[in-house]
Amino acid sequence: MSYIWVHEDAMRLDHPVFQAAGGSAQPVFIWDTQEHDKRGYSFKRRVFIYESAQALNIPIYAGEPHEVLSALSDGSVLYAADTPDPYIQQILAELGRYQDVVKIGTEDLSHIPANADMGRFFRFWNKAKKSALTASWEKDEAGHIIRTERHRS
Amino acid sequence: MVNLLDKQRVESTQPFTVALLEQSGREAVFKRVRELSPNLPASDRAVGELKGGRGGAEQCLDAIDPVKYGSSRNHLDGAVTQLSPYIRHGVISMGEVRDRALKLSTPKQAEKFIQQLLWREYWQRIYTAHPERIWQDVEAYKTGFSPEDYADNLPRDILEGRTGVGCIDGFIAQLLGTGYLHNHARLYLAGYICHWRRVKWQAGAQWFLAHLLDGDPASNNLSWQWVASTFSHKPYYFNLENVDKFSGFNVDTRPETNAPLAGSYETLFARLFPNLEPSR
Ligand SMILES: Cc1cc2nc3c(=O)[nH]c(=O)nc-3n(C[C@H](O)[C@H](O)[C@H](O)COP(=O)(O)OP(=O)(O)OC[C@H]3O[C@@H](n4cnc5c(N)ncnc54)[C@H](O)[C@@H]3O)c2cc1C
Repeated sequence: MSYIWVHEDAMRLDHPVFQAAGGSAQPVFIWDTQEHDKRGYSFKRRVFIYESAQALNIPIYAGEPHEVLSALSDGSVLYAADTPDPYIQQILAELGRYQDVVKIGTEDLSHIPANADMGRFFRFWNKAKKSALTASWEKDEAGHIIRTERHRS
Repeated sequence: MVNLLDKQRVESTQPFTVALLEQSGREAVFKRVRELSPNLPASDRAVGELKGGRGGAEQCLDAIDPVKYGSSRNHLDGAVTQLSPYIRHGVISMGEVRDRALKLSTPKQAEKFIQQLLWREYWQRIYTAHPERIWQDVEAYKTGFSPEDYADNLPRDILEGRTGVGCIDGFIAQLLGTGYLHNHARLYLAGYICHWRRVKWQAGAQWFLAHLLDGDPASNNLSWQWVASTFSHKPYYFNLENVDKFSGFNVDTRPETNAPLAGSYETLFARLFPNLEPSR
């Protein structure tokens, strides 16, 4: 069976990682006290994360993610939402040495050229504005604008 | 050793429908989180009003008003959404939020709101391309000071919200008590810490990450760098008149309790950045 690691940067069941993994994949959340301690998370932050995990109605484990995930998935394919977080990246990289790990990106709001100037926000905004202000229903799967007339439902 | 948090769910082959803790309300969650966090000091007891999970996100989403947002978002009592903790933890996608705004208003009317969402995307893209920028100065300070001139740690009076500056203590109380601060209040507090108290932005950023329900390495730390001037052309600072203009009645903006913030921009600039040429 394949697994989906629902980590703290993508706590929803409609993330594209679910489609990529397919209906039979088992999503899991891992409560990581050690990492919360390391990051100095206050009680209120932990409560918010716990409630968000609980609302997903998926199995919740407590422990070190690397340990839990390698025990659970035992060589099968592991899916996870991609994230810039170096801690999550490192866990996925370690697991990837022994099993297939598939990272699925989160949908961007805007589509900009790869070499766009990111030096200051407003230079980015000027490039990103048109696609950001276009609703999903006016774009194709790759995020390209397919029509420009207004749609209201 | 793998420790099952909720054995029932894991062993059940049936889809889990009713969350047991949900039935007994938030108290049961608080107790469970406490048990799972043995190293948290007992004195750390505050919880935010925003409840984690899709239900809470939908409540905020149902209340958005992009038109009112555009005209009032800079005011501490303006029509901001409080969606940030849900967005930060991916409980809800930014695409869904943007699409809701575009159902409620025209792209032109929703522009200010979507522009703010884009700030998040901007910071995330920088985080992805340059993870080292999260804790390192992106550029030099433009304050006339070098990093060594700034303290490494937050002084106790800031940590405890006893600075003696009325509005600042109010913002700190809100941060510690609820885990949420309006963007403008974050700017005031960060500006105060970096420029009035001359503390390194990293110390403030770390503190915010501990308490903000939406604490996010990219949005938070790069915003702190923006305030500090290590990722902007100039330092962000403000005066009491500005706080008063954007505050509601529940913020203490009396001159007698906010003396360090009172004065014209020119006066404060000269006081805070004595090594720079007068600019405004
Ligand atoms: C010093 C400082 C620290 C900050 N730390 C964080 C943080 O840790 N996490 C975080 O999500 N935001 C942070 N911000 C950005 C901003 O203050 C919050 O996103 C916003 O106040 C959240 O409240 P809201 O959901 O009511 O926002 P709204 O005004 O309703 O905006 C809607 C959404 O747009 C996004 N957004 C709005 N403004 C910004 C912004 N300036 N930068 C990035 N995203 C934005 C958020 O996802 C927000 O939920 C920080 C800003 C400053 C100045």
